[in-house]
Amino acid sequence: MDCQAPSLDFAIIGHQENWQHITALINDIRTPRLEKLPVEKIKSIFSFIPPRDVFKINAKSKTGAEANGVYIETFIDPDMLDAQYIRTNISKVMNAVAFAKKLGAKVVTMGGFTSILLEGNFDSFSPGPSKFTTGNTLTAAFIVKGVEKAITQYGINLQESNILIVGATGDIGMACTNYFKGKTKKMLLCARNKNRLQKFALELIKDNILVNYSIVLDELIPEADIIICVASSTNIQMANCKKNVLICDAGYPKNLETTIDNPAAVHLFHGGMGQVLNGYSINPDYSKSMYHYEAPYISHGCALEAIVLALENKFETYSTGRGNITNDKMEEIYDLSLKHGITVAPFYNTKGLW
Amino acid sequence: METLQPASITIEEFNVISDIFSQAITGELIGMSNFASLVETIDDPHEKMEAVEHANSERSHAEGFMAYAKKKNLKININLHSPYWGNVRKQFLSYAIKKDFIACLIIQEVILESFAVSMYTDVANALGGEAGRLFHNIADEEKEHLEHSSDILRAELNKDPKAFIKKFEEIHFNCMTILAEFTATTDLRGHCGVCNGDCMKGALHHIGLDVTVMRGNALALYASALDNIGIPGEKSIIWIARLPA
Repeated sequence: MDCQAPSLDFAIIGHQENWQHITALINDIRTPRLEKLPVEKIKSIFSFIPPRDVFKINAKSKTGAEANGVYIETFIDPDMLDAQYIRTNISKVMNAVAFAKKLGAKVVTMGGFTSILLEGNFDSFSPGPSKFTTGNTLTAAFIVKGVEKAITQYGINLQESNILIVGATGDIGMACTNYFKGKTKKMLLCARNKNRLQKFALELIKDNILVNYSIVLDELIPEADIIICVASSTNIQMANCKKNVLICDAGYPKNLETTIDNPAAVHLFHGGMGQVLNGYSINPDYSKSMYHYEAPYISHGCALEAIVLALENKFETYSTGRGNITNDKMEEIYDLSLKHGITVAPFYNTKGLW
Repeated sequence: METLQPASITIEEFNVISDIFSQAITGELIGMSNFASLVETIDDPHEKMEAVEHANSERSHAEGFMAYAKKKNLKININLHSPYWGNVRKQFLSYAIKKDFIACLIIQEVILESFAVSMYTDVANALGGEAGRLFHNIADEEKEHLEHSSDILRAELNKDPKAFIKKFEEIHFNCMTILAEFTATTDLRGHCGVCNGDCMKGALHHIGLDVTVMRGNALALYASALDNIGIPGEKSIIWIARLPA
């Protein structure tokens, strides 16, 4: 049947990273029969479109289980993610939430900017059968497990290393900080909100954790042996990094490589990503224009959290609010993901696989 | 006679308002003609009467716009055979001849009314005053048509989703293509045959409007109407993305 299924295991609400990706997707949808639309024409229409499901997703577990879901595009303008457009964007996210509910999605993950609604505890999720999650717990788990894997690969001694968390007071930043505290020589914390940063750092200091913190990134970078960047800012500059520093770019969009003064001297990978070993398919198949990874079946941790929960028939609000991600929750969702053959993605950056 | 005085509005504003009323009157007369043709496609006497009533409603909208235009001495050009409006009418008639009531409903009540409701609302907000109220009131009535048809079409979709979506898709590309060309930043098929001088789209800024925003809002309302009927998003995004821009 061509019509919508009455209910879905999961839905992923998201938005596109840049106009280049959007242009490729729209022209892919148009098919080669029609003339390609230039980005300016696409810009004049794209962000007017109300949120809707764009393709179906079928994910396969190594247990043999399958989960069926959809991707709901919010049609948020990627150039309008700043605070000044927050009302417009929140309204789009709310419409996407309503759309997911209408489709009967049992668990809905809110990718990228859209998680703001759950992180901010907006009073907008009326009770209903659909459960909403930010997907931040699995994202954080993939980040920390990825970093651990990378330091093993490079023979880095974590206990003798200073680890810098950029975006330390965000939900994922706090989860990463809490995971690594006590395991490193020193925690270096950077965030934009001075008060929140100070409060968080003082809590760690009370626990006898050695911490340096600043809202000025440049003050912390030269000390860092490992950097985890989970900030969503587009104007981060990575200058004066130590030679061979390990960088996990887990922000959205992942654009740190363009800001590093000497990229050849660092080991950078895109973190927070997972790989579905038994594969997933999308229908209609827009992977030619939407899939930008060097290895197969890679996806964001936040999207994969919904898939893992769906495969487990665990339809619940798994990740919500800010600062609620515990190490136990990260271990739990990570173990569940491994059970279904969903692992930390192979290391890659814009130049390809490591 | 009250006229729009040069002291209160510029000649550019006068011209663009005249063109907007010309388009609105032409559109309403097309709607009136469509509903009148629809009468022939219906067997049920009550629905037949309802179609006549709708035709009359479109006639009264046209009359309302004409009365205002006359009062303000606007320069009105009505052209039911103009390239875009004429083609929309031809499309409608091609289904009316086949007594395809559902197709007629899709063209008149979903496609044309989505654009009418959205664009009238934008114009109403921009013009304000008496003209604004007129456009708002008519937009509200057209909105009722849109909502009424959604109920019928939703029931139709539930009977046979595959066949219904296939039919809607065909009508979408036959009809929305004309509207997409009509509302593109520049007329993709030449002069519309209704505007008095050059295309008014380039002059909309004189009254605080922008064709890109108007078209975007209209497409958004159309997309929401499709959602409301139950067309899957993965279909509607394809339909919208494949339109001329």
